[in-house]
Amino acid sequence: MHEIIYATTLASVYLMFALGLSITWGTIDVLNFAHGSIFMFSAFSVYLMLEHFDTGMGLLVMVLVGAGVGALLSGAVHLLAFEPLRRRANARDREMQMLIVGVGLSAVPVALANKITGGNPFGLRNDALKVETLHILGVPITSVQLIIMVVAFAMAVAVQQWLRSSRHGLALRAIGVDDETSSMMGVNRSRLALVTMAGAGVMAGLAGVLVSLSFGAMTPSTGDFLILKAFAVIIIGGVGSVTGVVVGAFVLAGAETLILTFTGGTWVDAMSFALIFLLLLVRPQGIFGRRAVVKT
Amino acid sequence: MDFLGQNEILVQSTLTNFLLAMSLLVCLRVGVFSFGGLACFGIGAYFTAVASIHWGWGAFSSISMAMLISMALGALLAPIVRGLTGLAMGMATIAFTLIAGVAARNGGELTGGAEGLFGIPIMVGTGTALLIATAMTILLALSERGRMGRMIEAVRVDNELSLSTGISVQTVRFVAFVVSGAIGALGGGLAASFRSIVTPLDLGFGPVILALTMLIVGGARSWLGALIGAVFFTWLPTVLTSVGEWQGVVYGVVVAAAAIWVPGGAVGVATDLRRRLAVKRRVRNAIPVKPKKAMVS
Repeated sequence: MHEIIYATTLASVYLMFALGLSITWGTIDVLNFAHGSIFMFSAFSVYLMLEHFDTGMGLLVMVLVGAGVGALLSGAVHLLAFEPLRRRANARDREMQMLIVGVGLSAVPVALANKITGGNPFGLRNDALKVETLHILGVPITSVQLIIMVVAFAMAVAVQQWLRSSRHGLALRAIGVDDETSSMMGVNRSRLALVTMAGAGVMAGLAGVLVSLSFGAMTPSTGDFLILKAFAVIIIGGVGSVTGVVVGAFVLAGAETLILTFTGGTWVDAMSFALIFLLLLVRPQGIFGRRAVVKT
Repeated sequence: MDFLGQNEILVQSTLTNFLLAMSLLVCLRVGVFSFGGLACFGIGAYFTAVASIHWGWGAFSSISMAMLISMALGALLAPIVRGLTGLAMGMATIAFTLIAGVAARNGGELTGGAEGLFGIPIMVGTGTALLIATAMTILLALSERGRMGRMIEAVRVDNELSLSTGISVQTVRFVAFVVSGAIGALGGGLAASFRSIVTPLDLGFGPVILALTMLIVGGARSWLGALIGAVFFTWLPTVLTSVGEWQGVVYGVVVAAAAIWVPGGAVGVATDLRRRLAVKRRVRNAIPVKPKKAMVS
């Protein structure tokens, strides 16, 4: 039972983190490799605020600050890097260049945080915030874990609804199918792309704050590992599919929890890499994907 | 010689970084975005360490065995990932590298776990390494000329077109994977011997970023680009000590900026410039042709 709680929390973390990444990749064709550093740096900014100004801020303020920093960083990355890249690069080299730009940019926040913390883990210590442990059917669960689960699923449902039934969601999906035609139909591609990237940043920032609260601490390189896991989640589920991200998150979290319970944990990270590797070979479009990652 | 004596460690790491960059370059040149060379660098370093520490092997036998193993790995990997292109290939091979890293972390006594292995005997002199690297460079430079060079260029630019002209794209890719593995393992083996330490970090994200930086800034089309990148990024931190502290930030920004605005790297810029000058000269030296009057019907 304890394992199920653990797996669900982990799946919710992956879900929060991977959702934004999957949506931007599936619609506006941006695979933001810096998503992991944005996640980490949002939590890190909250940590800096706690250290320097105010140790008594409530959970809501922390989450809002994290989400704001995430949105700012993600929007900035889009405007400064991915948008110029899209205008300049030809289609054949673009994917490769996008990955390189993302890998390069992701090193910047990590280096900054490493410089300030000396490579040590940092945690969001807060006197005002009490983490309570509840018992549901005799199973202990912390309030933060509960919040993570609720937020993650609310997020997935909201994004799915927005994509399905709002006008902007429709426009975004149209860009995903064919961006030239959709701009001829009056979709403002660059504005919508910026909003989508900022939205992905909000999710990354939220996830960053909640994850570091739940797990107690985070190191500057946590984001780098999480981005690969998120990549596994997306590859499992299929690019751009919200249902796919939910399923992928549960599959990966379940598999990792199994390994953790049976082998003691040192091989956990290999799981996601192996899943990426296998799925790319066997079914590149993912379980729910319409479009293959591989375009030959 | 005095210069070499003072900067021996820097020269050594320039050489190993150069070999690392070249091993990635071999794949990039045929249009395959593979980090397999990086995995082979780490595997070569680990094998050399294990063979020399645990089994008492000498330099030649351990490094050449490491190269053979990496070539076999490359030969295995190539058909497995043959269907992948672009991003998917990049991610799959990064995943492969990181799996190797996790394996090294879990190797127990053999690989030294998270701390890695230290106390690898210094088995290769800088001069020997320089000779080896030069030989590799000459081989690679030769493959950039003539028939072979045109074939590689064709495979990179257009798979279907080269297939239709009778080039076996899969064979070229296969050879690229094997050669890349050999060069990577060679660099890794030399690095292990020079540094006398290997850690799981050698199979992590750090080398991925360093290798990309070198190739993107230098130019990912020829050995010269790898050399420029390796020299530049090995010596930069020592020339600008203030950069040393902000190394990660500077490298990250440089890579991103270069990938957006000068994707061809230093060599690409130079080639463009030369071509433009050549065109200008041709225009200047050309015999002026009087435009004929258009026929009016």
